[in-house]
Amino acid sequence: MSMITGAPGRAIGTPLDRIDGPQKVTGEAPYAYEHHVESPLYLYPLQSDIARGRITHIDASAAEALPGVVIVITHENAPRLADTSDKEYAVLQSEEVAFRGQFIGAVVAETFETARHAAHLVEISYDEEPHDAVLRADRDDLYVPEQVNAGFPTDTEEGDFEVAYASAAVKLDETYTTPMEHNNPMEPHTTVAVWREGDLTLYESTQGAHPVRRTVAQVFGLDQKRVNVVAPYVGGGFGSKGLPHANTILAALAAQMIEGRPIKFALTRQQMFSCVGYRTPTIQRIRLGADEEGHLTAISHDAIVQTAKIKEFAEQAAVATRMMYATESRRTTHRVAALDVAVPSWMRAPGEAPGMFALESAMDEMAIACGLDPIEFRIRNEPEIDAETGLPYSSRNLVACLREGARRFGWESRDSTPRARREGRWLVGSGVASSTYPVFRLPGSRARVRYEGEGRYAVEIGAADIGTGTWTTLTQIAADALGVGVGEIGLRIGDTTLPQASVEGGSTGITMWGSTIFEAARVFRERHGQNPSEGDEVEAGTPENPETENYAMHAFGAYFAEARVDADTAEVRIPRMTGVFAVGRIINAKTARSQFIGGMTMGLSMALHEESVVDPRFGHVVNHDFAEYHIPTNADVGEIEVSWIEEEDPHVNPMGSKGIGEIGIVGSSAAVANAVYHATGVRVRDLPITPDKLLPL
Amino acid sequence: MEFLQPATWREALEAKSAHHEAVPIFGGTDVMVEMNFDRRRPGYVLDLTRVPEIQVWERENGKFRVGAGVTYTRIITDLKNELPALAMASRTVGSPQIRNRGTVGGNLGTSSPAGDALPPLYASDAEVELASVEGIRRVPVGEFVTGPKRNVLRREELIWGFIIPEAEGPQQYAKIGTRNAMVIAVCSFGLALHPARRKVGTCIGSAAPTPVRAKEAEEFIEGVLAEGDLWETRGAISEAALRRFGEMVEMSARPISDVRGTAEYRRRAVGVLARRTLSWAWAEYRDGR
Repeated sequence: MSMITGAPGRAIGTPLDRIDGPQKVTGEAPYAYEHHVESPLYLYPLQSDIARGRITHIDASAAEALPGVVIVITHENAPRLADTSDKEYAVLQSEEVAFRGQFIGAVVAETFETARHAAHLVEISYDEEPHDAVLRADRDDLYVPEQVNAGFPTDTEEGDFEVAYASAAVKLDETYTTPMEHNNPMEPHTTVAVWREGDLTLYESTQGAHPVRRTVAQVFGLDQKRVNVVAPYVGGGFGSKGLPHANTILAALAAQMIEGRPIKFALTRQQMFSCVGYRTPTIQRIRLGADEEGHLTAISHDAIVQTAKIKEFAEQAAVATRMMYATESRRTTHRVAALDVAVPSWMRAPGEAPGMFALESAMDEMAIACGLDPIEFRIRNEPEIDAETGLPYSSRNLVACLREGARRFGWESRDSTPRARREGRWLVGSGVASSTYPVFRLPGSRARVRYEGEGRYAVEIGAADIGTGTWTTLTQIAADALGVGVGEIGLRIGDTTLPQASVEGGSTGITMWGSTIFEAARVFRERHGQNPSEGDEVEAGTPENPETENYAMHAFGAYFAEARVDADTAEVRIPRMTGVFAVGRIINAKTARSQFIGGMTMGLSMALHEESVVDPRFGHVVNHDFAEYHIPTNADVGEIEVSWIEEEDPHVNPMGSKGIGEIGIVGSSAAVANAVYHATGVRVRDLPITPDKLLPL
Repeated sequence: MEFLQPATWREALEAKSAHHEAVPIFGGTDVMVEMNFDRRRPGYVLDLTRVPEIQVWERENGKFRVGAGVTYTRIITDLKNELPALAMASRTVGSPQIRNRGTVGGNLGTSSPAGDALPPLYASDAEVELASVEGIRRVPVGEFVTGPKRNVLRREELIWGFIIPEAEGPQQYAKIGTRNAMVIAVCSFGLALHPARRKVGTCIGSAAPTPVRAKEAEEFIEGVLAEGDLWETRGAISEAALRRFGEMVEMSARPISDVRGTAEYRRRAVGVLARRTLSWAWAEYRDGR
C-alpha cells in the first residue's frame, strides 16, 4: 500500500510512494479508452496514400454496405468547422492532401474490427502532385521564421562573431545532425467523444485538459462551458499529447454527426507515426573559437529544421547555446524548410535535446583541440551571468554537477587518449556532457482549496498526470502549503470541471500548479485561519513572480557515460551512466529519480537507436512500429546512477523547485557520443550511432 | 473469416485438404502481425494449438524429430545440450513472452532470411517434414526455403516439424542486432562441427534472400582441418585460416542495405561472426567437449 503518512509541513522532499499506484496496478485507474460509456461506436480513420495532391473521387459504397457500419465520413459529408485557421485542425474540410498519412476520412461502426475492415473497402482516387519531404542543408528555400518555439527570437548576435572567429587561436567548424524521432508514449493517442444535447465530452489522453477544451471549443465554435475534457490518468506523452492533434478533432466531428452515441478512437502504433507530432530532423553547424588557454571567444550555432507546409513549428535547436558558456562573441540562427510532411511538434525538450547534442559534442571536440580535459574546458568557460538577459542566475550549479559527477563516476583516472583502453574484444571509453533546461512559466492556472471537515482538505486543479507522479507530488505540495499531513489532502486533477490549469509542457507542471496551490492555500489561511469551518473555500490564480525580472532561471546537470564498442562489429554497449542534477528542491525523491532515469534512458535511446526513416518516394515513415523503430530494451540499459546537488533557490517559486521532466534527455546523448569517440577514436556527428557509421574501426 | 480448430493432426490435415487457403497458426508471432497490419486477410485460419501430435519431440535413430508446435522456450529448456546451436538461436528470439508462444515451425513457415532458428537447421543438415492427407515427405531445409518468405510447401500441406541430427560436436550461433533484445537480426551465423564425419556446417542468416550455407568456406576449413590432422590432434586453427574462413563466408553473403544495416556492414559482420563462432566451437572441441 502507498505510504500516506508524515508530519505536517514536511511532505516536500519525502520519497512518498505513488498515491495512484494501487489503482494503476489493479487496473482501476481509467485511461482515456477505458472510461465507461453506454453503447459506444468505434472509429477507424482513412489516411491519405499520397503525400500531396487532391482527392478526386471517393467510393464508399462497399464500406457502407458492410453490416455494422454506421457512417463513412469524408470531406464530402463532414460538417464545416467554425475555425479552420489552424490547418492541422481543419480536418475533412477540403479535398486537399498535404502529407502522407493525413486523415481524409473515417469509418464509424459498431465494432473496431468492422470499422477497420470497412476502412480498407473505401476506394479513393487522387490527382497526385509531386511532393518534397526531405530536409537538406543546401535547399534554396530555407526561410527565417518570425520566432522559434517557446517564443524565442530566431537569431541572436553578441559581439562580432566573424572577427573573433577569424582571429581565434583554436577553431572548430563541424556539422551535427539528428534524425526525425517519434515520441511514442505507451498509451496511444485516444479520444472518446460524446456529443449530447449540444454538450461535448471528451475522455482524452492529453497533457492538458483545459488547453484541449480551448482548442476544440474554438475549432467547433462552441462556448467553452459546453466542452468538458476528462483526463485523470495518462499513459505518457513526451510532448506529443501537449498540443491537441487532428485525431481529437476527427473524433469530435464523428460525435457531432452521430449525436448521442459515444465515439471511441484510439490510434494504432503505426498511425502514431503519421499525424500526432514528431521531433524534426535537425542539421546544425557549430563553430567555436578559443584562445590558447581554452577560453571561448567565438560561438556560432546555425540550426536548420523542418516544418509542415500547413503549419509552422520551428524547433529552437540553438537556444541553449545562447546561455551555456561564456564568450566574447556569439551568433545563433534558425532556418526552416516547409515540406509536404506532417506537422512536427514538441518532443521531450524540443530545442535543447537536439541542440545540446550538437553543442556538447562540439565542446568535447574543442576540449581535445585545446588540449584540455573536457570538464576543465567547460569550467573554464563557465559564465558569471546569463548572456541572453544580462541577469544573474537564481542558481547555477553546473560546475558542482560536473565535479560531483566526476567523483562518482571515477573520472580522475581517465586517460584522455582516445582508443587507449581495450578489454578483450571491447574498446572502452568514457564521455561527459553538460545539461540545462530553462525554468519556463505558463500563465493561467487556478486552484481551489475547500475544507471538508474532520481535518480534511479538498485541493482541486485541472492539472495533468502523464505518468510522472503529479497525483503524488501535488498532494505533497498541498500538504505543506496548508501545513497538514498528506493524508489530510484530497487532490482532484485532470478534468475541466476543476479550476483551469496550464499544460504539462516545458517542465512547468510543478512550478505552475504548485505555485498556484501555494497561493490558494495562503489565501485560504488568510481568510479562514487555522480552524476553518466545513465548506470554507477559496480559489486563487497563479501569483506573479517578480523575481523573474531579477534573475535568469535554469536547471543544470552533468552526465558521464561509459561506452564499450566491439572492435570487430562496432556494436555499442553503454554499461553505465551517471547523472548529477542541480534542479532546486526535489519534491519527491522517488518520482524525481524516475524522471531522471527515464530522461537519460531516452538520451541513450536518441544516441544509439531512435530514427524515423522516411522513404522520400512516398513521404512516410517506413519503420513505423516497435519492431523496427527501436527504443532500448532493459538489456540495453546498464547501470544508471542518479543523484542531485542540494540546491537552495529561493527565487524560482515557493517550493524552490525547478522542472525536471525534460532535463534528463538534454545532453545525455552527447555524453554517449563522446564516450563512443573516446573508446574508438571515431567521431560520429550524425545520430543515431549505428555500427555501420563506426566502421572501419 | 472462418476459424478452424482441429483436435488431432489427422483433422488438421483434413481441414487443410478441404481449405487450401487456410493459414495455419500456432504462436501467431508472425501471422497475427501480418493480419493486424492488414497485409493478409485469409478466409480461413487453421489453429494448430489444440493438436497434441505436433507439440512433442522424440529421438529417432540419433536424430531428433521435433514437432512444429514445440516452442522456443521448450527448445531452450529441453534440448540445450542436444541441439546447442538451435537453443542459442532460440534464446535470441523476441522476448520471454514471444519465446513462450513462438515455434521453429513458425519460423519455417514464414521462411524469412532473418528467421533466427534457420541457420542452425541448415548447419546441421536438418530436414523439414511436410504432411498432407496423402502422406508425408521430407525435404532438406536448404531446399525447403526457396526465396524471401517463399518455400516449397504445397497448398494442401502442413509443416509437421523437422528432423535434425543430435549434435555430435560443438555448435555455435551468433547474431548481431541494433539492440540487445527483441531485435530482428542485422545478420547472424550458425556453425556446427561434425567430428565423426570430419565436416563443418555453416549458415549465414539475414544477409541474402534466404539463409545460405557458406559452402566454399566449409570446404576450405575442412581442408585445413584435414591437412593439419587437427581433428585427431585437436590442435589450434591458425589465425590466417580463421581469417580466410571469415573472408570466404563474407563472399558467400549477398546482403542488401535496409533500415537495419548497410550491405557493406552485413558482409563484414558475417565474416566476424564466422571467425568468432568457429574459434569458439573449435576451442570447445579442443577442450574435449
